[in-house]
Amino acid sequence: MEILDIVAKAALEHGSDRVKSVRLRVGDLSGVEVNSLTFSFDAIKGERELTGDAELIVEKVPLKVHCRSCDRDFAGKGQYLTCPACEGFDTEMLCGDELSVVDIEIE
Amino acid sequence: MDLGFWIISRYLSRVLDAIADPGEFTMKQIKLEQKILTRNDIIAEQVREIFRTRGIAVFNMVSSPGSGKTSLLEVTLEELSKDLSIAVIEGDIQTQNDAKRIAKTGVPVHQINTGGACHLEALMIKDALENFDLDSTDLMVIENVGNLVCPSAFDLGEGARVVLISVTEGDDKPLKYPAMFHTSDVLVINKMDLLPYTDFSVKQVIQNARSLKPDIHIIKTSCRTGDGLEDWMDWVRDFVSDSKSV
Repeated sequence: MEILDIVAKAALEHGSDRVKSVRLRVGDLSGVEVNSLTFSFDAIKGERELTGDAELIVEKVPLKVHCRSCDRDFAGKGQYLTCPACEGFDTEMLCGDELSVVDIEIE
Repeated sequence: MDLGFWIISRYLSRVLDAIADPGEFTMKQIKLEQKILTRNDIIAEQVREIFRTRGIAVFNMVSSPGSGKTSLLEVTLEELSKDLSIAVIEGDIQTQNDAKRIAKTGVPVHQINTGGACHLEALMIKDALENFDLDSTDLMVIENVGNLVCPSAFDLGEGARVVLISVTEGDDKPLKYPAMFHTSDVLVINKMDLLPYTDFSVKQVIQNARSLKPDIHIIKTSCRTGDGLEDWMDWVRDFVSDSKSV
């Protein structure tokens, strides 16, 4: 799994043989189902001794939208990029599609 | 032994160990901020680079089964293959049926049969490229497996994604399949000749699509009557010339 590859590489580069925790950033629109991700992570982390006990911490990033007509930022409603105030489409996504490894804690 | 005593003695033992060897408790936080790219993303970028270096424009057609992807592609090839050198990759779980239809237009076509996978992936596209003379290709069209769910998650190295909805499908389709519309550049509303026989609202489907992708380009077509096809051909021509100027 790509997350384990990224984590293992970083841990080894820093001379560690044990990863305590992995923090991920997962946006609402990343397409990732967090429960499934956590389940899969826990199921396969034991395949490597390095990550066997690692705890997965997920930082969720809600959808944030900028409306050019209102010149304001808003929390997106669900997965929709419509401006909640004017219901217009002159908008852009500010954040919400992230999928990254933020940091790891190693011994 | 009393459980509480056992717990406390274990805790004390750890504390004493820490005092004796503080190094055991050193935790380091390593900042990574690294995007998680799936294997498909990595291969898709390789495929994108292959197309870019050869100046080939590529679009990926997606939709539910039966929306009219192959029909739209047939009329597109009949019209544009006089002026553009076009190649087609067809994706289906089984059969060569779509490739046979495309072959009648005289355009080079390769059929991928996934066997069971409900979507095309970048590696399938990369492997398929050896079937074409890429140096003489202006435009590659990929017709994906009919499915509004899984293909949304698989970048194929395309320059644009074209999603089709036919008027017999329901104008709330974009809301039901948001990921596909978040990642599409063009919406083709097809089978417009059947509009009088349905409750489909063109205004509503456009609003729904824009709520997910505000700048999505909308084209309304009927392959049966020919309505709207010029708008579609114009989009394809502009897409090819824009891709070449990058």
